[in-house]
Amino acid sequence: MSHLLKNKNLEIAKIYDYVSMCTHCGNCKYGYEYGPDANFAAMLCVQGDKFNFDSYRGSRGKVSLARSLMHNRIGFSDAVAHVLFTCTGCGACQQMCETDIKPYILRMFEALRADAWKQNVKIPANIKAWSDTIGKNYNPYKEKHEKRLDWIPSSIKSSLPKKAEYIYFVGCTASYRQKEVALATVRLLQKLKVDFTIVDDEWCCASPLLRTGQYDTAKDFVEHNSALPDKYKASAFITTCSGCYRTLSRDYKMDAPEGYADKYGKNLPNTKVLHTTQLVEEMMNKGEIEFTGKFAQKVTYHDPCHLGRHAEVYDAPRNILKKVPGLEFVEMYRNKKFSFCCGAGGGVRGGFADYSLETATKRVKEAEATGAQVLTSACPFCYTNLHDAIEMNKSPLKFEDIIQIIEPIVKRK
Amino acid sequence: MPDYVVMPKTVTEIQRVLRLANHRKIPVIPYCNGTNIGGLCVPEEGGIIMDLKRMDQIIKIDPETCYAVIEPGVSHAAFSAALKASNPQWKGNEFSKGFDFGWGVHPASASVLAMAINHGIGHLNGRIGINSQLLTGMEVVLPTGEVCKLGSCAYSDSWHSYLPLPRMDGLFTGWLGTTGIVTKLGMWIFPIRPFKDVCTIAAASADDITKYMVHWRHYSLCDEVTAVSWWLAQVPIVFPYREKPKDAPEFYSYTVLTGWTQEEIDYKKKMWKQVVAQERAKGTKLIDFEYPPEAKKGRTELPSRIVGSTKNYSKSCGGGIAWPGTFAPCKSWPILYEKWKEIYIRHGLSPATRFTDYQGAHYGMLRCMTPFNKRDPASVQAARDAMVECVRAGIPEGMLPYKPPVEYQNELNAVADAGYLYLTAKIKDMLDPNNILNPGKLGVR
Ligand SMILES: Cc1cc2nc3c(=O)[nH]c(=O)nc-3n(C[C@H](O)[C@H](O)[C@H](O)COP(=O)(O)OP(=O)(O)OC[C@H]3O[C@@H](n4cnc5c(N)ncnc54)[C@H](O)[C@@H]3O)c2cc1C
Ligand code: SF4
Ligand code: SF4
Repeated sequence: MSHLLKNKNLEIAKIYDYVSMCTHCGNCKYGYEYGPDANFAAMLCVQGDKFNFDSYRGSRGKVSLARSLMHNRIGFSDAVAHVLFTCTGCGACQQMCETDIKPYILRMFEALRADAWKQNVKIPANIKAWSDTIGKNYNPYKEKHEKRLDWIPSSIKSSLPKKAEYIYFVGCTASYRQKEVALATVRLLQKLKVDFTIVDDEWCCASPLLRTGQYDTAKDFVEHNSALPDKYKASAFITTCSGCYRTLSRDYKMDAPEGYADKYGKNLPNTKVLHTTQLVEEMMNKGEIEFTGKFAQKVTYHDPCHLGRHAEVYDAPRNILKKVPGLEFVEMYRNKKFSFCCGAGGGVRGGFADYSLETATKRVKEAEATGAQVLTSACPFCYTNLHDAIEMNKSPLKFEDIIQIIEPIVKRK
Repeated sequence: MPDYVVMPKTVTEIQRVLRLANHRKIPVIPYCNGTNIGGLCVPEEGGIIMDLKRMDQIIKIDPETCYAVIEPGVSHAAFSAALKASNPQWKGNEFSKGFDFGWGVHPASASVLAMAINHGIGHLNGRIGINSQLLTGMEVVLPTGEVCKLGSCAYSDSWHSYLPLPRMDGLFTGWLGTTGIVTKLGMWIFPIRPFKDVCTIAAASADDITKYMVHWRHYSLCDEVTAVSWWLAQVPIVFPYREKPKDAPEFYSYTVLTGWTQEEIDYKKKMWKQVVAQERAKGTKLIDFEYPPEAKKGRTELPSRIVGSTKNYSKSCGGGIAWPGTFAPCKSWPILYEKWKEIYIRHGLSPATRFTDYQGAHYGMLRCMTPFNKRDPASVQAARDAMVECVRAGIPEGMLPYKPPVEYQNELNAVADAGYLYLTAKIKDMLDPNNILNPGKLGVR
C-alpha cells in the first residue's frame, strides 16, 4: 500500500496524524475573503509567487511532499530541499487553511527542514555557514559575541541598572545590523522612564535555528535565554524585533504546535514578553505619553509576519501610528492577516538573497502604490530587507521603524 | 506519477509542448489546481502535467453584454473579486452593483475554467442551469497543436454566444481534458441581486422531501433548492456510521431566494409557504426547522474558503473525502437514496446524501459525501467499494456520475449504448490521433 507510513523515524512522522488532516483543498494557495463587507483576493504565498509549481504554493505542496516522503514514494533530494528552504514561513497559507492541520502547518515546515539536515541534500550555503558558527558566536551574523553591545554609547551603557523590571531583548539584527533601531528603542524607553536593562549575556533567541529546523542546536539557546529573567530579577522581556517576540512568547512558552514545549519544556512561565509597540500602546492608553512634535508624512505599515500572523498583534502598531500628530496613515491592499511577507524570514534572506530582495521589491512597489512617503514596520529584520529593496530600486520611499518615528516626538507625561 | 511538469504562459508555448508530445507520443495532462475529486489529473501512464496556473488573465468583463473572458489559471477567488468590483451598466449608466457567476462550494483557489468546461455546479444552477450551460465562446489548442476559436469569437472580438453556430464547444465540454487544451473561455455573468433570504424545512423521509422540492422548484422562483440527509447535516459528518436518533428528521432542506426588492423576496416567501402548506395538506411530512446564521452565510456568501475547505470532513476521520457525484432525474432520488443507504451502512459509512435541483423541473444532483481515513487501507477500500456500488446501482435509474474517475467511467461504459461509445472513440481519434491528452480517463482509449 503506497499510503502507509513507512519512514517512521522522520521528525515529520511525529506529526503524521495532523499532516494527514490536510484535505488538499488548496485554500492555502491564494488569499481570499468574500462577503457583504469583504472582497479580497490576492496571492499571498511569496514562494508560490516566485516559483509557481504546486509544491512551492502554500502548505498543500509541502503536505504532498511530506506524505510522499513518509510513504517512501519519493526520497530527499536537492529539489525537495529547494522547496523546503525557499519558504519564508510567513504563515499566509496557515491563515487560509480551515482544517485540522492548520495549527501544525508551520511546525510541519520546520520538521521537514529538520529532516532535510540529516540527509545528504543541498542546504543553502549561507545557512550552513552561519549554522557552523552560531554555537560559538551566539548570533547568525558571524559576528563576535563580545561585540554584541558595541552599539550602545558608553553614556547610556553606564546608566543601565544591573537589575530591572524589563530586560530589553535586543536581538541579533538590531545588535549587529540595524543599530539605529536599537538606539531609538533605548532612547524611547529612557524617555518613557521604563525600568529596563540590557544584558551582555543575551544570546540569539534561536529564531533562525528553529525556523530552519536546527532543533538540537536551538536547545542551548532556549535554555540559556530562559535563565536570564531570574538572573536579572526581571519580570518581563521587551523586544523590538518581531522574530524575537514570536520566539520568546510562543516557542519558549507554549505547547506544540504553537511552541516547542514538547522539545525544550515550558520556559519563561513567570516572564511576560512584550513587543515595544504593545508597551507603548498600553502607556498611551493609560495617558502616560505626551507628544511633543509632529510627523507630518503619509505613512503605510508593513505587518511583520512574526508579529502579525504568528502572534496576531495587528492593532497595537496601527493604534500608535494613528495617534501621531500630523501623520496620515494609509493601508496597503494586502494588510493584517492578509499581509505579504517582506521575503526575509525562514532563513531565506541568508539562503537566497536575490529571491528575498525580489520579494521585498514587490512589497515596496505595493507600498509605493498607496502614495505613502514613508514605509514603516516593527521589526529590524523586515527593516533590512525592505530598506535594501528601497535602495536597490531607487524608490522614493523612506523606511523608518515605528520606534524611530515616535521616539523623537514623545515624552513621559 | 508524472515524468515532467510544464507551466506554459502563452498559447504558443502550449502549441510547442503539444506538437513535441504528439510527435513523441507522450501523454499530456491538463491541470489547473487539481481539486477535482475524481483523480482526473492523476496520470494513468506518466507523461507531462501541463499546469496552466500561470495563464491567469481575466481578459475581459463586458458589463453591457454581461459576459467575461478568462484564461485557465483564473481562480474563483480572483474572478469573484473582479466580478464584484464591476457593475452591470449600459454606456456608463450603472444599474446595480457587481456580477455573479455560478459559484460552487469548492476551494476558492480552483480554476473557473476547469470547473465550467467539466459541467461544474454552482449556486445559481437552480435558476439558470449548470455552469457549462453558461458558456459563450472558447479558444482551444488541439492535441496536434492547432488553435481554434469556437462561437461568435471565431468571427469578431465579441464573445457573447455560440449561437446560432453548430455547437462545437461540445467537443471540449465534459471531456475531462482529453480532447483539447482550452486556453480562453467566454461565460455569461449575472447582476448580483441585492436582496437574499434562505428558507428551510425538514422532512421525515427522502420521499417527503422530494415531493416538496419538486413542487417548489416547479415555479422557478429560487436560485437553489437543496436537501441533505441527517448524516450530512451533522458537523462534522458522522464517521464511521452511527444510527440517526429516532425522532430526528431524515432530511433537511434549504432554498435560496434572491430579488431586486424586499417585495420580491416577500412574494417568493409567500409562494414558498403556500407550497409547504399545500404539501402538508396532502400528507407530506414536513417539519419546521431554522438554519443557524452561520449556515445561511455559507449559502449566500460564495465562493467561500470555509465551505470549500472540507473542514467538516477532515475532523471526523483522517482527512480523506470523496463522493459519487451524479446528475439524476429527481424521480430517482428517493429510490436511489434507499439503495445507497443500504450500501453505505453495509460498508460502515454514513449515507451523507445531498439532492439539489437544476434549472426548474428538469434534472438534479444526487451525491453522497464519503469521508475516509487516509491512513487506514481498509477505510480507503470501503469508501471506494461503496462508491462504485452506488454508481452501478444508479445508472439504470437514469443517474450519471459527473467528472467521473476511471472506476465510474468503466461502470458507465459497461452498459453504454454501443453507438455512443463508437462515436466517443471516433471523435477522440479524430481530435487526438495519438491519444496523448489525458489518456485512459474516458475508458475508450
Ligand atoms: C471540497 C470541494 C468541493 C467542491 N465543490 C464543487 C462544486 O460545488 N462544484 C463543482 O463544480 N466542483 C466542485 N469541486 C470540484 C473542483 O474543485 C472544481 O470542479 C474545480 O473548479 C476544478 O478546478 P481545478 O483548478 O482544481 O481543476 P483540475 O482538477 O486541475 O482539473 C479538472 C479537470 O479539467 C481538466 N482541465 C483543466 N484545465 C483544462 C484546460 N484548460 N483545458 C482542458 N481541460 C482542462 C483536467 O485535466 C481535469 O480533467 C469541489 C472540490 C472540492 C475539493
Ligand atoms: S493545508 Fe489546509 S488549506 Fe492547504 S490544502 Fe491542506 S487543508 Fe487545504
Ligand atoms: S509560509 Fe508563506 S511562503 Fe511558506 S508556503 Fe506558506 S504562504 Fe508560502
